[in-house]
Amino acid sequence: MNGAGPANGGAVMSVQHLGVWAGEHHILDDVTLDFAPHSLTAVVGPSGCGKTTFIRSLNRMVEVTPGLVVNGSVLYLGQNIYDRRVNPVHVRRRIGMVFQRPTVFPMTVFENAAFGLRLIHTDEEEIDRQVTGALIRAGLWDEVKDRLDRSALSLSGGQQQRLCIARALAVRPKVILLDEPTSALDPVATQRLEATMQRLKEDFVLILVTHNVGQAARVSDRIAFLHAGRLVEVGPTEEMLERPKDPLTAQFITGRSEQ
Amino acid sequence: MADLTMSDSSSATEDSLFDRSFRTRWRVGFDRVVGWLLPLLFLVAILPILDLVGYISYRALPTLSFQVLTSTSLTRTDTLGVPILSTAEIMAFSTVLAVAFGLLGGVATAEFLSERAAGWVRMSANLLVGLPSVTLGYFGYFTFVLYFGWGLSFVAAVFTLAFFMTPYIFRTADLAFTSVPRHIREAAVGSGAAPHQYILRVATPIAFPQVLNGIFLAMAIGIGETAPIVLTTTLSTTLPSTLYSPVSFLTALIWENYAQSTATPAGRALVDLAFQAAFLLIVVVIALNVVVRVISHRFEKRLEGLYQ
Repeated sequence: MNGAGPANGGAVMSVQHLGVWAGEHHILDDVTLDFAPHSLTAVVGPSGCGKTTFIRSLNRMVEVTPGLVVNGSVLYLGQNIYDRRVNPVHVRRRIGMVFQRPTVFPMTVFENAAFGLRLIHTDEEEIDRQVTGALIRAGLWDEVKDRLDRSALSLSGGQQQRLCIARALAVRPKVILLDEPTSALDPVATQRLEATMQRLKEDFVLILVTHNVGQAARVSDRIAFLHAGRLVEVGPTEEMLERPKDPLTAQFITGRSEQ
Repeated sequence: MADLTMSDSSSATEDSLFDRSFRTRWRVGFDRVVGWLLPLLFLVAILPILDLVGYISYRALPTLSFQVLTSTSLTRTDTLGVPILSTAEIMAFSTVLAVAFGLLGGVATAEFLSERAAGWVRMSANLLVGLPSVTLGYFGYFTFVLYFGWGLSFVAAVFTLAFFMTPYIFRTADLAFTSVPRHIREAAVGSGAAPHQYILRVATPIAFPQVLNGIFLAMAIGIGETAPIVLTTTLSTTLPSTLYSPVSFLTALIWENYAQSTATPAGRALVDLAFQAAFLLIVVVIALNVVVRVISHRFEKRLEGLYQ
């Protein structure tokens, strides 16, 4: 189980019988799901279905919230990230995360993008190269290349969110977790971020949590539907939208797509 | 009939933009009275301060000279050079100690202790702040002077004053680090920052202005304390030559000199010196407050937009 190297038919991440408890309350119940390379999986579901808890359990961010107990396993390249010998800090350096609200630090644009890198590297040239690459990939380079030394707090909300993506990209992770990344953005910024996500799935495993079925339809290859902490159904995006097997899924998707 | 017209008029006022009802007029009038009362109360609050500063300046300024402040002559008792330097020395050492204890304690409480343990530590700090300084002076006397056997000395005064200043720095450091926005902490942790990396690279720059405020506040309070000093050292007219030497302190000098009889010219000179020392202390405390305002304002500008 803990041997390095890919397992489970080449899945980069493999969630197996994952459960999360808050005291007596079951937030996630026996979720099993694989994530293949170069894919964008959208995790959708109604508010309170456990989708945020699910994505936060993929890089051990759940442990930051006191009182949550995790069981089951999450394999990253065949290694269980919840193994007792694994340092959560190292997990989070390989599995990047972008949050609901832009979370830039009160530093310059450059230092924000370099934050994750500086935790590991010290070679300035390397950092410079990676930061430039990450900003280009996040679709932000043209807008900030002349003001890398300005405070990141002076950027717009959409730019801040793309800067957060660049920060996650700069450490060259294999997996990026996106927890409702457009929920604080206006429609134009949302559109730009969706375009960025579509480009990024060529090179990374993207896992997107969203309450917006329309967004899932636009960007994802695959939709996983969570309801009351359980994985109800998962399948290719088109199939899920047009021929959902479970009535719960159908109800959620039609209810939402009418909006 | 009368009732009918009453209800008619009240329904008319619902749409009227010119509400002349008794309740509205009463509310507006009350607002106006409070609007005048608040500045008046403010004046009442600052009058004692103005009186104090005014009287001390009036007593100190006629006899204050550059020489009084700078002469470190050991044969003269009418100069402040030695007390000023001694005060600076005590303040420097005790501030360093208090910052070390307070900052480490504050960060540990905010970041590492369990809620329960943190609650106990915070309660103790609040208790220490509320303690009369003379109690802490006796603690210093029994602990450092007697138990540690340091005698009435420079080092005993430094440690006692440091203990006195620590909770102020602790409280602001604790508050500064706990009030770093949650989403910022999550972003740092989510980027793979280890606890020490989060504290040093993310939290410290954000908490810095507040921590600085606490340090300056503690210095302003510490430099005005008398009891912790007079109980742990004997007043000296010379600079301390060893850690165990007696030492002078501005507030202690005021404490001693102000009690002198003004019947003789020598006594009057000592009382004058007390006023000069008091004037100097006021200037220093005001300066500390102004400096901290300027510095923390500059740092807070950098954080604009962070708490949205």
